[in-house]
Amino acid sequence: MRIGVFICHCGSNIAGTVDCAKVAAIARSWPDVVYAVDPMYTCAEPGQAAIEAAIHEHKLDGVVVASCSPRMHEPTFRRTVERAGLNRYMFEMANIREHVSWIGKDMEANTNKAAELVRLAVEKLRHDVPLTAKQFDVTKRVLVIGGGVAGIQAALDCAEGGVPVVLVEREATIGGKMAKLDKTFPTVDCSACILGPKMVDVAQHPNITLYACAEVEEVSGYVGNFTVKIRKRATYVDWNKCTGCGACTEKCPSKKTPDAFNEATGTTTAITIAFPQAIPKKAVINPQYCRQLTKGKCGVCAKICPTGAIMYDMQDEIVTEEVGSIVAATGYDLMDWTVYKEYGGGTYPDVITSLQYERLMSASGPTGGHIVRPSDGREPKNIVFVQCVGSRDKSVGRPYCSGFCCMYTAKQAILTKDHIPDSQSYVFYMDIRAPGKMYDEFTRRAMEEYGTEYIRGRVSHIYPDGNGRLTVMGVDTLLGRQVEIKADLVVLAVGIEASRGAPQLAEKLRISYDNHGFFMESHVKLKPVETNTAGVFLAGVCQGAKDIPASVAQGSAAAAKVLGLFAKDKLESDPQIAQVDIQRCVACGKCLRCCPFGAIKGTEFRGEPKVQVIETVCQGCGLCTSTCPQGAIQLQHSTDNQILAEVNALCQC
Amino acid sequence: MSVLEGKELRIVGFLCNWCSYGGADTAGVARATQPTDLRIIRVPCSGRVDPLFVVRALLNGADGVLVSGCHPRDCHYSSGNFYARRRLEILKQFLPVLGIDDRRFEYTWVSAAEGQRWQHVVTTFTERLHNLGPAPQLEDAAPLLKVADMVLTALRPLGTGQNTALDELKAAIVKKLPELECVIGWQQGRDAAHHVPLFIRTPDDVNKLTWGPFNVNNPAVYLPTFKGKKVGIVVKGCDARSVVELLQEHLINREDVTIFSLPCEGTLDMARVDQTLGRYTNLDKVEYDEAGVTITADGTAHRFCMADFAQGKCYGCSTPSAVLADERFGTPVQVTPGEITPPELALLDAMSLEERLSFWHGQMERCLRCYACRNACPLCVCRDYCVSDSRDPHWMTQEDTPREKLFFQAIHALHLAGRCTGCGECQRACPVGIPILALRQQIARAVGQLFHGYAAGMNPEEVPPLLGYEVVEENIQERDWK
Repeated sequence: MRIGVFICHCGSNIAGTVDCAKVAAIARSWPDVVYAVDPMYTCAEPGQAAIEAAIHEHKLDGVVVASCSPRMHEPTFRRTVERAGLNRYMFEMANIREHVSWIGKDMEANTNKAAELVRLAVEKLRHDVPLTAKQFDVTKRVLVIGGGVAGIQAALDCAEGGVPVVLVEREATIGGKMAKLDKTFPTVDCSACILGPKMVDVAQHPNITLYACAEVEEVSGYVGNFTVKIRKRATYVDWNKCTGCGACTEKCPSKKTPDAFNEATGTTTAITIAFPQAIPKKAVINPQYCRQLTKGKCGVCAKICPTGAIMYDMQDEIVTEEVGSIVAATGYDLMDWTVYKEYGGGTYPDVITSLQYERLMSASGPTGGHIVRPSDGREPKNIVFVQCVGSRDKSVGRPYCSGFCCMYTAKQAILTKDHIPDSQSYVFYMDIRAPGKMYDEFTRRAMEEYGTEYIRGRVSHIYPDGNGRLTVMGVDTLLGRQVEIKADLVVLAVGIEASRGAPQLAEKLRISYDNHGFFMESHVKLKPVETNTAGVFLAGVCQGAKDIPASVAQGSAAAAKVLGLFAKDKLESDPQIAQVDIQRCVACGKCLRCCPFGAIKGTEFRGEPKVQVIETVCQGCGLCTSTCPQGAIQLQHSTDNQILAEVNALCQC
Repeated sequence: MSVLEGKELRIVGFLCNWCSYGGADTAGVARATQPTDLRIIRVPCSGRVDPLFVVRALLNGADGVLVSGCHPRDCHYSSGNFYARRRLEILKQFLPVLGIDDRRFEYTWVSAAEGQRWQHVVTTFTERLHNLGPAPQLEDAAPLLKVADMVLTALRPLGTGQNTALDELKAAIVKKLPELECVIGWQQGRDAAHHVPLFIRTPDDVNKLTWGPFNVNNPAVYLPTFKGKKVGIVVKGCDARSVVELLQEHLINREDVTIFSLPCEGTLDMARVDQTLGRYTNLDKVEYDEAGVTITADGTAHRFCMADFAQGKCYGCSTPSAVLADERFGTPVQVTPGEITPPELALLDAMSLEERLSFWHGQMERCLRCYACRNACPLCVCRDYCVSDSRDPHWMTQEDTPREKLFFQAIHALHLAGRCTGCGECQRACPVGIPILALRQQIARAVGQLFHGYAAGMNPEEVPPLLGYEVVEENIQERDWK
């Protein structure tokens, strides 16, 4: 082999504490190294041109660059060597900046260490082989999981881009949490007015297939070629016939059904349409409360339905869809705040969640938009908002900030004043987090124009005072004194958590999730929409707390990723994947059992059972390689021999 | 390669590309000063780190090895680090039996954002190694030879099994034989005190079948070669566990194998028997009684009491009756449950780390590198493709050094982690009598302690612990580096 070595000075970044010329000189003494230099800036255009020239001039068939982290410039230099006619995998990098020059000042030790790291790269390169990517077809359809605002945006953008969309929503209607909100910050425009048209677009778009009351059951396949099984839950109403006239909901005798859409602030009927603007506007029977389904007698809705849509014997149905990409937009749920026993743990009716408060304020809510106390229906005058209930609180396992509570609390305080002009609002806060456009101005308005009293401190205790009001005990840490407020209503800004079932879905999608169930993006800064599974993208709060504008932006970003993926007719697979030496394989199936991606399947070779790697599914983790006792399955570009070469280069006592 | 003499130690780091390598980058970008000893090898995932890379590095002179991956649940490949955690924890518990201080190996989790944590990990680990000093090398340790003390109290009375239902078994084999390619059992070998495997193909062959303490071979070793053919096998309790393990790995099909079982009362440690007998010309007779055998050779009678001359594994045997069988004969043997450290392992337990290194140096100097241990192992399923004979992958050199030979033992032991049933064939087959079973026993003990008492070869349906994981491992203490 003819190897060229380039020891980058990176200005003084490396050369300041590493003797680059000496490293290059040492490198020249190693086997197969025919050329070693120490340029000033290897990644700059002249630096790259010098590599290309050296490849031609010295007939190099492999290149080592020692410079910054390969996480930074490995792709850059791979393109460089490719331009000069080498295979892009005949290239290795040694990290002598982040791992050497920047972490120590001892020139002798650094130079020695740099030389050894270059030696590792050279030894690995000596075991490199050219690898070529394979091409495969793409199914240009996308599955969007979750019909909240992020999912809606992703679905609409994809559909507009000409890609057929399958939108799966667990609830009976799309709209998600945003549909439950009364107004939105910082413009205080009506949530239903801005979301409603988008929801209608989803229903009417020819490219969108909507499955409501449906969940993803199983996902198999790989980027470009996923097969998804979707469970359509029995709604007991034939939606092809249901016109959404609502006659059934008026006559249903089971009127004590908890109203999930209204966050249990009111009751509804066993057959119901979630809310007037629901999409799809179809009735659904709640089987736990339907008299026909629980007791076997009633049948009122079936009699009243003008189209004969009621089907009491309906069963769940599984539909299979083929898609090339998946967008997860499963949103969030509120955490169970009743763990806060000091706030009554759910026993005081006038301590409610902020989402319940939204429903009380909403014109489509159970009270028609009149703010009243759940306990006695009276209008509250003193309202206390408590922020960070289950946010930034390690004691309940929620160390993270829920992001948007500061803002909606300010909004709710403003709206409260609009609804009840003689009311007084108090907000207990830890810090005001209002970094968005027009956000800080908005919270200022709540304080200055609307006279909301902001108290920096936590609430330690809420208890009924015996006269129908609540006593809120807290602390004002700015004044350094205790505070006691008589409240008619307490609204808790309850922290968010990943949507119910998020980890299970993540496992079906084979994507990672954090300790709190939020899905992991591929890179926190540079790949916030991608996941570690190619072709699966994230939108909205399922990835981490964010408000509506950010959710919409991420929905569009996910759609852009999908459209970008589908802009190609063929996809290329990364050749750094596992490969089976069919002779060595004894089909013991250990690799098959532990492959995180299901990328290994059984096969036959000359009548003998063997395994093979599904090239498009393999993500290149190499778990199989370290599992196979006979070394029959080798991760290309990180083979046993390559890593052993590195180990042996370091340790030869 | 040279380390800076007296200043640096040789520390090898295996870092996953996505989290820890990024964390080390983050530390660098933050100019977080670190000791210069560590050399980082970038791997895609901590799951890619074969524990044998670590052993290779340590045997080759590394003073310390550090593996770092993504935090549990944050794996770029969703579960690679969960597997790594189990395998590396087993490794950590395995190293001391080789005589390597387990403080020289550490695994941890550092995310790409945790530059400070990385600095802390590197600094702490390097300091720890500097306190320990350069690692003692196998070749530098003065060879030490010691023999395990086999006199133990068994969990059940050991005997010779001469009253068992051998005739019923023979009748059953004759009846079943027409459906089978052959039935594997034992027969008399060169004399009545040495038994060898028997392949019964005709009803006449059945008469050759023997039963008793000389049936030392594990017939399960032959089963994979018959894969796809109907075959019968006569098993002792320990052999049955090997059969179960082969079933678990789909190396044989359950419907192809007919298992005949007799309760085992123990087998003799033939190495010690032969040593006591010495050289002889004529074996006059072998007499069995309930507690042992008397072998008369060249006119001299030698009595071998089972309680004193059984194989080490027999004392702690809890499965004298097969865990899986199609046709059972004889009265099952009762076992009093209890903990016994096998004598080979107890021998090593009693030594200091330095003594163990000396011990293995001495033993490995005697090793012939004949691979009899491998060939006798029923779970060495790689057969012709063992990595010890291969250049791709090229794990071992052909050098005849204690280091390479001990490395092979580490390969065998770690490849058997969670699979070894402790049948002891490796040690029995060793022509120079090296107690290599101890290495496997240490791993089996660690597997049991870490994974809720898991023992290999008990249930064909079970997922072996190193091919599975739990998100929260109850018995693995995550070291938090505080």
